[in-house]
Amino acid sequence: MSSDAKYKMCSKTVLDTTVPGISFNETGECHFCDYYKTLADRTINRDAKVRATEFEKVVNIIKKSGKGKKYDCVLGVSGGLDSTYLSLLSREQGLRPLLVHFDNGWNSELAVKNIENIVNTLGYNLHTYVMDWEEFRDLQRSYFKASVVDVEVPTDQLIFAALSRIAFKYKIKFILAGNNVATESINPAGWVYKDKLDLVNLKSIHQSFGIKKLKKLPKLGLYERYFYEAIVGIQLVNILDLINYNKAEVKEIVQEKLKWKDYGGKHYESVFTRFYQGYYLPVKYGIDKRKAHLSNLILSGQMTREAALRELQEPPYSPTEQANDKEYVVKKLGFTPDEWEQIMNSPKVPHENFETEKSRKYKFFYLLFRSVMYVPVRILRFLKILHSPVKINTRW
Amino acid sequence: MVVIVDYGVGNLMAIQNIIKKVGGNSIISSDIQAIKSAEKLILPGVGSFDYCARQLRQRNLIATLEKEVFVNKKTILGLCVGAQLMTKSSEEGNFPGLGWVNASTRQFDRQHVPVIPHMGWTDVTFSQSGLTKNFDGDARFYFVHSYHFVFEDESQILGTATFGYKFVCAFQRDNIFGVQFHPEKSHKYGMRLFKNFITL
Amino acid sequence: MRRIRVIPVIMLDEGRAVITRKFGNPIYVGDPINAIKILNDKEVDELIILDITNKRKRNTPNFDLIAKMASESFMPLAYGGHVITIADAERIIKCGIEKISYNTALFTNPEMVREFSGKFGSQSTLASIDIKKNLLGTYSVRTKNGSHKVGTNIELILKSITQLGVGEILVNSMDQDGSLDGYDVRLIERMTKCINVPLIACGGAANISDFVQAANVGKASGVAAGAMFFFKGSFDAVLVSYPDQKTLITHLYNNLD
Repeated sequence: MSSDAKYKMCSKTVLDTTVPGISFNETGECHFCDYYKTLADRTINRDAKVRATEFEKVVNIIKKSGKGKKYDCVLGVSGGLDSTYLSLLSREQGLRPLLVHFDNGWNSELAVKNIENIVNTLGYNLHTYVMDWEEFRDLQRSYFKASVVDVEVPTDQLIFAALSRIAFKYKIKFILAGNNVATESINPAGWVYKDKLDLVNLKSIHQSFGIKKLKKLPKLGLYERYFYEAIVGIQLVNILDLINYNKAEVKEIVQEKLKWKDYGGKHYESVFTRFYQGYYLPVKYGIDKRKAHLSNLILSGQMTREAALRELQEPPYSPTEQANDKEYVVKKLGFTPDEWEQIMNSPKVPHENFETEKSRKYKFFYLLFRSVMYVPVRILRFLKILHSPVKINTRW
Repeated sequence: MVVIVDYGVGNLMAIQNIIKKVGGNSIISSDIQAIKSAEKLILPGVGSFDYCARQLRQRNLIATLEKEVFVNKKTILGLCVGAQLMTKSSEEGNFPGLGWVNASTRQFDRQHVPVIPHMGWTDVTFSQSGLTKNFDGDARFYFVHSYHFVFEDESQILGTATFGYKFVCAFQRDNIFGVQFHPEKSHKYGMRLFKNFITL
Repeated sequence: MRRIRVIPVIMLDEGRAVITRKFGNPIYVGDPINAIKILNDKEVDELIILDITNKRKRNTPNFDLIAKMASESFMPLAYGGHVITIADAERIIKCGIEKISYNTALFTNPEMVREFSGKFGSQSTLASIDIKKNLLGTYSVRTKNGSHKVGTNIELILKSITQLGVGEILVNSMDQDGSLDGYDVRLIERMTKCINVPLIACGGAANISDFVQAANVGKASGVAAGAMFFFKGSFDAVLVSYPDQKTLITHLYNNLD
């Protein structure tokens, strides 16, 4: 890339022209610097006192919602840093979450060990949502064959669907999420598919390349989402944005208190994600997601640019492990070496080449549906037959 | 390139698999040319002593192996019965061993062991060598055997284990190595041993 | 220090990993290949894979899956299920499997088991015996996933089986299967008394003290379990676990007689 005459790297972060559509201002800072500042000013850069009060308020709302019930929130655990810390934070705040683990067939040993330690130490109940592997594999295979960039959509989307279903089943109103501005808010548009919950796009990709019917996987379309959000009133809460979330500090805390084990890179608790971010994206598309993660840390003041540049000098993870993972992933997904070669050599296809929720016909009917529902829902809320959702931070 | 000598016995896939896992290259072959051009050799073996000895003989591999090991000084590693074959004889069979090391193979003394065969994981105490480096007293391997080595020349002993009593489970004579256990089925301990082997 | 083998058992139902209760009600626990990869990383002593797929759906071993599972295992691996011919058995061994577990074939095709043992050695020949207790407390040996009764003279049956060149015996107590209620230690004790090959106890284990019981009282050389290694907590949340060495040394090996 650096041989390219137009190559340029941001003067503040480590994002560069490998990011599609990146732009720089006169001082050489990329547009993500601005984006981050706006976002952070609205959230984590606010006055500490204001945030502390809000945090307390949110915790109390959650507690109150669970009065007389076994649980007051659902908390998705992956064995990764964010969800592990969130579990600990819940305990410290006296919350009573039902831990839910989404098993998509790619757990690493470290991930399950970390979850086991959380459950053993904190004594929370765990529910595992096991994906039907044959179906899930078919879905992941479809994304590879489609040659779209965000092969993590099936996981990200179905996790949310699984969490929503479980919240509904146990009559829980809040889903605690580990998403946070400080460490993971930079997601360049060309590197991920922004509409992670777009079931239309998922189905369209699967219809084009899949061979199995998706019968057992939890699906969550626009209308189901409306049902869970507007009728049932289930909400996602990004509670980590209300505290000072510092990656290095938090790591130390969970290592000490929950015997948490580090697995290397961000989201490397999943073998698939490690391979996807550490091999597939860089080799096939020249995308190094660490640039986004590290830039995020630079912008939130948790890392120096020098340290980030140093880290980028290293390969995403060890070449021996990459080779082992590659063999495993290709074998597990059921591709022949030739098929895999072909996938690696296919050009990038935009997700928008497939149908999306934003396609005119879907959008039209959905807006029509919402406008029809608007008045009845308001009336039901007014009559207290439906609960009005409690408004808490809504950035995500 | 490591050549895993294929004479019809042993879990050869498992050996090839673990060598690959630690970053080495190997082929499974009974071809004399392949053995001649090998950098290192592995002599596997599972089952009865006589069955293995007969198979090795029938394939006319002994002369080639001896030339590579003694004249060309190629490193060779015997596994389980493959290592027992390197001794002079075994109580289990009538065929003579290769006699590459000054030892014989004897049955466990039933008086002193709880059950035969010895099957399972057992701690191993190694003495220093290229094959046994990077073990900090934590070596643990999977064993399945009813017979064990008995050495006359103690200087060739590379490792011992205890099952009822202490017995020799690893040896070295110059470039000839043998282990009674199954490093190909012994997790990171086996990986460490094979890593050592390919870098010898 | 003496060690006994602690062995997870994975059941396969049409290529899906399942855990059963009393040989029925299979609960799906995910992709067997990933489960095996995790167990491998946990450095389990050994692994037993039993294919319980209904014969009407498939009656030959799934060789492709067996090879994939074997390539993730850096520990000894036993496979059982649908092994009807010696050629099948040979092909499985070539996939990288150490031991073949025979159940129905012990009674319907004993000559094949004998031939296999002669060729691949008794250490590769595992006899898996399913035993069910009736209301009066009489034990019977069962085959065909527990549906067919072979006989009630356990001692005699064991004797004829060991004469086939079997290197070890896996005892599955059907009543305890998936119950997390502890082993049927009396049954294990009764069986170890009349055989001179290692015995692996299976069915009902919930914790390490069950292992100690099976070894000290039952005299088992190995202890196997399914549900204990796959489920966590009151929801039976699927989460693969296996005690680490430190735990095993303190709570199991150091407590062995």
